[in-house]
Amino acid sequence: MRNKIFAGVAAGAIAAVGVAIPANAISDTTADLYVLHAVPGLTVDVYVNGELTLDDFEPGDLAGPLDLPADTYTVAITASDAADDSEPAIGPIDLTLEANTSYTAVAHLDESGDPTASLFTNDLSTVAAGEGRLTVRHTAAAPAVDVLANDAVAFDNLSNPDEVKADLAVGTISAAVALTGTTDPVIGPADVEIAEGVNTIVYAWGSAADDNLTLAVQTIDGLHSNPGGVDAGTAGLAADNNNGILVAGLGGLAALLALAGFAATRLSAARAAK
Amino acid sequence: MAPRILALAVMALLLAGCAAAPAESIAPVPAPLPTAEIDVPRQSSELAPVEQLAAPVRIQIPAVGVDISIAPVGIQPDGFMEIPENITVAGWYQYGSSPSSDTGSTVITAHVDDFVQGLGPFSRLASMPAQAEIIVTTDDGVDHRYQLESVQNIQKAQVPLDQVFDRDGAPRIVLLTCGGQFDENVRQYSDNVVAIANPL
Repeated sequence: MRNKIFAGVAAGAIAAVGVAIPANAISDTTADLYVLHAVPGLTVDVYVNGELTLDDFEPGDLAGPLDLPADTYTVAITASDAADDSEPAIGPIDLTLEANTSYTAVAHLDESGDPTASLFTNDLSTVAAGEGRLTVRHTAAAPAVDVLANDAVAFDNLSNPDEVKADLAVGTISAAVALTGTTDPVIGPADVEIAEGVNTIVYAWGSAADDNLTLAVQTIDGLHSNPGGVDAGTAGLAADNNNGILVAGLGGLAALLALAGFAATRLSAARAAK
Repeated sequence: MAPRILALAVMALLLAGCAAAPAESIAPVPAPLPTAEIDVPRQSSELAPVEQLAAPVRIQIPAVGVDISIAPVGIQPDGFMEIPENITVAGWYQYGSSPSSDTGSTVITAHVDDFVQGLGPFSRLASMPAQAEIIVTTDDGVDHRYQLESVQNIQKAQVPLDQVFDRDGAPRIVLLTCGGQFDENVRQYSDNVVAIANPL
């Protein structure tokens, strides 16, 4: 088990040398795990199966993806100066990761302001060409909220720790979060870009009581699909001359004749055998 | 696979080293804090503008006298690639790669003809000589030079769209228009003319 997770963690580290997050490394045997720190004012260490995996992890930081073999992992989050994971501030919690699936584990506050952790599954199913996906997750110490897009309610009554999502045409939306039933934003408005083939995951985090509600954004690309085709002419002026059709027709005729000849030969051979 | 095995071996060595250290210590100095042995990639989750690629704005194919501007295009309501109505303007599939991308195909298309406008410049794709030079200029003023690898007619149903619109493979440009037989009933060509060119 120990070797398995280390090999997985190492592979994740190798795969993610670039600045951009690779689309995803999931496979029939592995899962992707991202970790988001959304507890204000608390630098932490993250232990996976008793091993220190994220040292001095700062609020607002996003780590990953770790390409991990499908399995159940025990995650404990401690203060950053802890000697081990024996006195976690959050957890330990068991995360069961299935193959071919992308997850984000979020350390955050629950509605009443206590630290907790939630495991979200990232929807990597393909989107139509020209569209992107918007996912909104409520991980803030705040009551239920409405999510406003371009001043209209896009998703209503979203509670901690739930999520909502939709596939949208590419473009920029002005996003804001208001307590359910109100229209005065507690977060935003902020411009969120819906990019093509990308799942843009927006987290509301922080605490309403402490007046530090804000947004975190995670993007996972590679969800695009292709156009259905290319129709680039309407007049026929560039058509091959019609000899093409004639040749094809003759070819077909020749093929038929050959078949007929072949059948005749078979027939006579069969007769001869009798 | 090899890097993973190597990583495993290195980890096994490291773990063996750890195991050799005394688990309990009676020394009065506190044990040093543990450090993570794996550097997991991290980034800020702050809202940031999406990085925009340099957009192609002009294509020149001197060998066949093509020199036209390029406009960014997307998807038609029917899911097909959008193409500028003006046959002397080419469309760049803006959701795919651009000449300044590290990977993938930059897809540029123009109508081969139009009843009113006649034959378009892209009708000359089919007569490009072998290894013709193609120059695509991006809006940051950079000229990207390519050399023609192949031009072929492919029946529309057979066009490998996942290769034409590939975003992860080697960088290249794919020029598309229509050709082959013309069906007067549906006013459509049978083929796509597909030209592939690689960076010089």
